[in-house]
Amino acid sequence: MTRLTGGLIDRGRKLHFTFDGKAFSGHPGDTLASALLANGTVLMGRSFKYHRPRGPISAGSEEPNALVELRTGARTEPNTRATVAELYDGLDARSQNRMGSLAFDLLGVNDLVSPFLTAGFYYKTFMWPRAFWEKLYEPAIRRAAGLGSLSFEPDPDAYDKGFLHCDLLVIGAGPAGLAAALTAARAGARVILADEDFRLGGRLLAESAPLEGVAAADWIAGLEAEFASLPNLRVMRRTTVWGAFDHGIYGAVERVADHLPVPGGLPRQTLWRITARRAILAAGATERPIAFADNDRPGIMLAGALRAYANRWAACPAKRVAVFTNNDDGHRTVLDLRAKGVEVAGVIDPRAGAKPLGDYRVFAGGRVTGTRGRLGLKSVEVTTDGRSEWLDCGALGVSGGWNPNLHLASHHRGRPVWNDAIQAFVPGEGGPVGLLAVGAAAGEMTTAGALEGGARAAVEALGALGIDASAPELPRGTDSFAAPEPLWHVPGKRRAWVDFQNDVTVKDIRLAHQENMRPVEHLKRWTTLGMATDQGKTANVTGLAVMAELTGRRIPETGTTIFRPPYTGVALSVLGGGDTGAHFRPRRLTPTHSWAESRGAVFTEVGPWMRAQYFPRPGETEWRQSVDREVLAVRSGVGLCDVTTLGKVDVQGADAGAFLDRLYCNAMASLKVGMVRYGLMLREDGQAWDDGTCARLAEDHYVVTTTTANAVPIFRHMEFARQCLWPELDVQLISTTDAWAQIAVAGPKARVLLERVVDGFDLSNETFPFMACASLTVAGGLRARLFRISFSGELAYEIAVPARYGAALMERLMEKGADLGVAPYGTEALGVLRIEKGHAAGNELNGQTTARMLGLGRMVSAKKDSIGAVMSRREGLAADRRVLVGLQPVDPVGPVVAGSHLFAEGAERRTETDEGWITSACYSPHVGAAIGLGFLEGGAERMGEVVIAANPLQGQATRVRVVSAHFVDPEGGRLRD
Amino acid sequence: MTDLAPLTALGAAAPRVTRLGSFTLSENADLALASLALRRGGETPAPFGLALPGPAGWTAGEGVAAFWTGPGQWMVEAPGRAAEDFAAALRAEAPGASVTEQTDGWTAVEIVSAAGEGLAERLLAKLVNLDPASLVPGRARRTGLEHMGVFVIRRAPEHFAVLGARSSAASLWHALEAAAGRIAAA
Repeated sequence: MTRLTGGLIDRGRKLHFTFDGKAFSGHPGDTLASALLANGTVLMGRSFKYHRPRGPISAGSEEPNALVELRTGARTEPNTRATVAELYDGLDARSQNRMGSLAFDLLGVNDLVSPFLTAGFYYKTFMWPRAFWEKLYEPAIRRAAGLGSLSFEPDPDAYDKGFLHCDLLVIGAGPAGLAAALTAARAGARVILADEDFRLGGRLLAESAPLEGVAAADWIAGLEAEFASLPNLRVMRRTTVWGAFDHGIYGAVERVADHLPVPGGLPRQTLWRITARRAILAAGATERPIAFADNDRPGIMLAGALRAYANRWAACPAKRVAVFTNNDDGHRTVLDLRAKGVEVAGVIDPRAGAKPLGDYRVFAGGRVTGTRGRLGLKSVEVTTDGRSEWLDCGALGVSGGWNPNLHLASHHRGRPVWNDAIQAFVPGEGGPVGLLAVGAAAGEMTTAGALEGGARAAVEALGALGIDASAPELPRGTDSFAAPEPLWHVPGKRRAWVDFQNDVTVKDIRLAHQENMRPVEHLKRWTTLGMATDQGKTANVTGLAVMAELTGRRIPETGTTIFRPPYTGVALSVLGGGDTGAHFRPRRLTPTHSWAESRGAVFTEVGPWMRAQYFPRPGETEWRQSVDREVLAVRSGVGLCDVTTLGKVDVQGADAGAFLDRLYCNAMASLKVGMVRYGLMLREDGQAWDDGTCARLAEDHYVVTTTTANAVPIFRHMEFARQCLWPELDVQLISTTDAWAQIAVAGPKARVLLERVVDGFDLSNETFPFMACASLTVAGGLRARLFRISFSGELAYEIAVPARYGAALMERLMEKGADLGVAPYGTEALGVLRIEKGHAAGNELNGQTTARMLGLGRMVSAKKDSIGAVMSRREGLAADRRVLVGLQPVDPVGPVVAGSHLFAEGAERRTETDEGWITSACYSPHVGAAIGLGFLEGGAERMGEVVIAANPLQGQATRVRVVSAHFVDPEGGRLRD
Repeated sequence: MTDLAPLTALGAAAPRVTRLGSFTLSENADLALASLALRRGGETPAPFGLALPGPAGWTAGEGVAAFWTGPGQWMVEAPGRAAEDFAAALRAEAPGASVTEQTDGWTAVEIVSAAGEGLAERLLAKLVNLDPASLVPGRARRTGLEHMGVFVIRRAPEHFAVLGARSSAASLWHALEAAAGRIAAA
């Protein structure tokens, strides 16, 4: 068949494309399906299970059959509906789910054994032997019953996202949506009009004369011109509103570049989050088929789709067609096709008194009882009053009535209600707040009703927002409608398809009924009715109706069907959106990052931070060599480490001390100005949470530090305490984590080095002892803060300067310390140093440990109350006898594995006999062996005892000796030197 | 005067400037910032003669500006004064209030559209979930941008600033540049 006359295609331009390697051409305005039909190709795919030849049955996004692969290489996109794929020059499309050619699919053998492949077949058959499922059955079934295939290459395109806000969101640009958008936009409201199609008009585009006295295309063109002049109206073509979410938020995907060969600089698609004060659902309706024997042959399609192809795209799959309809709408198809010169074999209308609306044959009271044609329809069998005859036709339009597209109205579990007048479900109560359904989506099935209803709904929606609007002058639409006479399926022995995409037939539903899978939820899962990419848009209601017939109940009594987002398939790429790879999530860089990079540092992720892990030197071939060297440099000379990542919170106010007393389990109000104190915060349940330091810069000014990992949670906790727990306290908080670059200067030569950069500040032990702090200047007048604190157990300081000077200060310290053997160290050495010193870190503060277990029990002050103090004394927590100990392998070269559990020697290793676990482990260059920290029952009394460190995951059991957790300088003399 | 050489938040000696179509993105590295919070029961000061704005407000005065960050809390901006101890200067202007140096806590990116406010708002729609109607000139809001906490200040119809954590300056710049670049390419 070639093109018909008319249509909304640009015949002045040709677009070349291929389907399964064969060259075709179409025109701008075509979809892949319309162009193929215009080229005489109806066969576009194979069915999911039986591999039956299939053509399109629809002309829209509800399409279950014509699923194709578009593009090649990394851009290959499976399961694209040919009915909505906008044609472009150079489009490369292929059929899918076949073995061999589309016309001769080897997997078509499935159809011959179909009596065995009924609903529930897989559940029953492939259960045994169990081991075969994963290796044999599943891959084989997937190969045969797949949809398209993936390229397995990274998606080369960009996906975008954005946020829009409006007074009124109009979903769908058919007559109801256009009327609503026009009404609201003229009233000055901020309006978004979104439609999944690339052209505005909805069903108006598919009808020959939906408006009286004006051509629909002209009316739409006039509207588009007005729309373009209204800055308060945003028209979004190729945009599917796919979900209604809380608080008036709607998800929408705009296909920005799907209609282009390659996106160029554009994102392929954009995910929009639209916040709408009110919304109008004008999504139209979807025609439903009638199930009859062999109703799935290519060429059998919905009557409304046949009409749409003829009117909008000037395409028809055959020269001679018939229509099977239980309502007047099917007759319209015949009138339009005849007007375009298509021969009509007849209309089969099961209604007893059915009369033609023109000069064509009507089989009143007739039904289609069979079809012929292997790869395309050749003829249909019509049975009237017990007499049958075969009618030659290449296409059959089928209409069983229309189902409102109420999907979004049911997204908040709004339950659709049955409407006898139109024999369909319409939106019910309880849908998304502020969403009004109008037009065919609300069951108003005429153009006149849609136009009026759209305008009325806009006036109502804006009225609720206090915006005055009035209905504009609209063209008169046609208003004839006759309810369909219920006919869901034609009984018979042969298979009659209900769900085309999942190959679910009336027989399968009957089987589900026999097996007592009668509730709709069971029916769906047992038969797969309504699953996969089309989500049963053409199948659900019919499936329900067949089940109702079998159970002898009415449809609304049998059940209903509601929908979840998305309305149509949404690519995960656009949901993921944004960046991939290095920019997948934000990274935080320390002030010395570029300096560390220039020194060849190896980086590690610490939450969002990138921290230098170690600084390899030439000749070091293995990370341990670098780390051991860095550790020894700190122990014997001086090392530098960027510790900016530790959280810093500025605490000011008259009650700052009292506030911190309540947050920390130990006292902070008593801290002297110019001193620092180690602090421990407990959770409300009494477990240890976070440790850090508290420096008092003035009577009413403290700086609190937290661990890197807890910087944000602790700040949030402090704000909660300030605003909600104790609003009566005079306290002000602000994070200063990023504002100051902080560098640890650690090692016996730390003081010597620092003396070379401070501006005449006395660093002697007498004036600036262990745990002192001060504001001072460095390097010729730069404001700085100095804290004498140590994480390594050595003489150590942390010096802070405004972050922009961090890298320069690091370089200066490196330069001034060259003769002292200064070395930068990373997080690995930091970890080794603190394990050697027995300092708790994240591994020990894991949320399951208490101050007492950490050996800090006496820090929980009994003289004051603080968060978690009371709960820390409860019986179950206080009775825990596990305490922090050091562990060393008995075999000097033996390993210590973090995560191992500790057992008494000779004890059976079970949960009941578990005595603790190893939290941290490393190789200690200071000790010259592997060491570890861990929690052990009664550990303090077991020094010298040998226990078993069991690592059953890797079959390890190591003898380790219990030692002090302080491998370095247990008396703490070095810190205070 | 220190002889240490500062780096901008993007890790270079000089602030970065990029032109993408009608957009100009500039790293405002010389912007001094200090937070100002009232003590309990304290009077609202008028530092540098500035009338501190109410919720979501931003006010510019002579050489300084301020935006509201919470009840009784503001961030005070001083263009071109990042090298100074601006917090000390503010403290002198607001005796009895809590002032904290914030200059290097943030990176500020100034975004100007040469094609008017419509284009600026198109970019805002790609960046933050804020209704342009609530982000008119003179407004500043705290919000999320690509998982980063930021302040967005509408300084003029065609000019807005995004302030993000200094440590994530590179990620923030990338996000802004990518979004502006896509609009410029369209």
